[in-house]
Amino acid sequence: MKIFWAVVGKELLSFIRSWQLVFVVLYAFSFEVYIAGSGIELKPRNIAVGYIDASGGGLSQKFLSYFHAPEFLEPILFESQEKLSQAVFDKEIMVGLVFDDTFEQNFRKNHHTSLHVLLDATAASQAFTALSYLQNIAINFTARTFPVELVTHKLFNENADNHTFMALTELLSIVTLLSVILTAVVFVKEKEDGTWDIMLLMPVNAKIIILAKSFSQVIVVMVGIVISVGFVIFGVFDTPINGSFFAFMLLSFLYAFTGTGIGLFIAAIAKDVMQVAQLSIVIMLPLIFLSGAWTPIYAMHPLLQKFSLISPLRYYIEGTESIFFRGTPFLELYPYFLGVILVGSVVYLIGFRKIGRLF
Amino acid sequence: MKLGVVKAYVLKELTEIIRSRLIIMVYLMPTMVLVLFGYGIRMEVTSARTLIIDNDQSHYSQLLVSKFEHSKYFDATIEKRGEAKALDEIHKAKSDILIIIPESFEKRLLHRQATQIGVFVDAAFPMRGSTMESYVKGVVLDAASQMLERLGGNVPTISINQRTLFNQAMRDEDAIVPGLIGLVMLIAPAILSALLIVKEKERGTIFNFYASPVSKGEFIAAKLIPVFLLHSINIFILFLWATYLFEVPFRGSFLLYWLTSELYLVISLSIGMLISIITRTQIVAVVLTVIVTIIPGFLYSGILMPISSMVGVSRYEAHVFPVMYYNHILYDVFLVGEGLASSKTVTYIFILALYAFCMLTLGSFLLKKELR
Repeated sequence: MKIFWAVVGKELLSFIRSWQLVFVVLYAFSFEVYIAGSGIELKPRNIAVGYIDASGGGLSQKFLSYFHAPEFLEPILFESQEKLSQAVFDKEIMVGLVFDDTFEQNFRKNHHTSLHVLLDATAASQAFTALSYLQNIAINFTARTFPVELVTHKLFNENADNHTFMALTELLSIVTLLSVILTAVVFVKEKEDGTWDIMLLMPVNAKIIILAKSFSQVIVVMVGIVISVGFVIFGVFDTPINGSFFAFMLLSFLYAFTGTGIGLFIAAIAKDVMQVAQLSIVIMLPLIFLSGAWTPIYAMHPLLQKFSLISPLRYYIEGTESIFFRGTPFLELYPYFLGVILVGSVVYLIGFRKIGRLF
Repeated sequence: MKLGVVKAYVLKELTEIIRSRLIIMVYLMPTMVLVLFGYGIRMEVTSARTLIIDNDQSHYSQLLVSKFEHSKYFDATIEKRGEAKALDEIHKAKSDILIIIPESFEKRLLHRQATQIGVFVDAAFPMRGSTMESYVKGVVLDAASQMLERLGGNVPTISINQRTLFNQAMRDEDAIVPGLIGLVMLIAPAILSALLIVKEKERGTIFNFYASPVSKGEFIAAKLIPVFLLHSINIFILFLWATYLFEVPFRGSFLLYWLTSELYLVISLSIGMLISIITRTQIVAVVLTVIVTIIPGFLYSGILMPISSMVGVSRYEAHVFPVMYYNHILYDVFLVGEGLASSKTVTYIFILALYAFCMLTLGSFLLKKELR
């Protein structure tokens, strides 16, 4: 046990000694999470709208008054259709509206009238949503006495607030990146220096050293999580947490161990830091992006859905979402804990065994 | 610059990369990322798990339900176990949407009285939540206006006559794959070049450079040229995947694509090199590169969100990173095809060139050829 803590202490000390590393890790856990949370809005907002108006004014202006924040930016008037098209081509405008000269007449005569729309669909999903906003505006506009009304409730996140969601996703991705890379490098450095074989040959139990070394990196990551959650998630974004904070920390702890397991595995097959960098990207990017952080699992290709079952990040993200937003009680979180523990212990054991062998 | 020296140095670096297993990664990583994400990222919501409680059981309400049943966006099931049970399903993340049609739906519709349809959406994933909400709205409002027309109401209507540009079918592949090329071409070269110099610092072999008559420019050129050559091939590989595997149309000029990609490659290499120069240990270089490439590459590239929709700080940040400019050109050559006819494209190429020049100058300025 004394050896264990001695190794942990030594690793933490050498981590702190490299001020550049401390700085970068702190940056990742604070500003990076903050930037992702504050700057990025995934749902279409501030859609840039441009229009040309040959209808004479009254009705079209009324129609345009439906375009307002936060979904739309103030519509911009263009002089000619060519200029409008050019702006759409240059991606300065996403939606171009063309009110032709029959627009108002037809409408006043109770005729069917159509509004021409140019839509930049390079971002397909935003275009789709923008189109459905438009359709809703058209329907709302024409039939103010429309008898069907929709009452929607957005559960768990009433304003569909993206800040907390993005910040949390970002934090979980950073936990993944750092727990893997930091651990892998700690071990590979010894390999590069040639001290690892000596370590394994020493009369000290190698298992304890491996455990202690990976544990020290778990501590680093956990401290990062505490800072990030405390200052950014709760502090800046004022995120409500509906479930148990303890459950989140426990899940994070287990997950960090899974990350070090992947790190051990990478360290076992890599020869130098260069290979660690390449391998971690190759292993981690799929882990992050197939975890359901960016796209719901059941909307993926069926084969990828199967793959995502072995991504421990999937359980971590779903669990964290449930804790923060859905407020699922502790006991009902067992699928996520089970997932992380199961995948985590398999991954960790493989890495542990592989790094513990002599080369 | 002595070409002989550079040539010898380049050969040495090339053999080093090829001898280690790195060469596999140079070609495996970009392809893997493109294929996985190209299939993996779906912004469009299809088959959202929808529960419908039909309290009316009338002709019109069933008409509405069948609209949901026949849509590829919804995976609708009629819920008979009651509201509380259905909400519980959403709480357990087993369903996404709950739609409740009130008892007097048909009667009130016929009498033109207002009737309310209740919709519950799981918004734990906000983007998906809003998308699903707007889909539901679209279907309900569309169905209701059809019903009204059938009832013979003579109301003026405005229909949206849209011309969808660049991506007529609104395919997710067309929207995402070109952006992914921009992402991959930023991460992969930067990760590789980020360690080239710092590795020598950590091992001590950098003293060879301090002591030798090789100049700074020659050293940088020698470090970057091998990686540049290796990754240049990726420009073509990624193009082939995009056009053949994902069937993204290519409407612009290939020469423009190729040349801007090479220019962009220089930029991402020099980002890596700059990191390699300022850091002292390899681990810092790795972590820093991952942080400055992956996250901006995703967030500020226009893949997830159009640049025109960004406001405030994120708009400035998008303009700071090179990925936005390159992606504009990528989307242009793949989907739009305006090329050099658009003044914006020309400006962006110019900005990219300026970027590359500044990065390289800054790099050779910061690189010290002496002990610190």
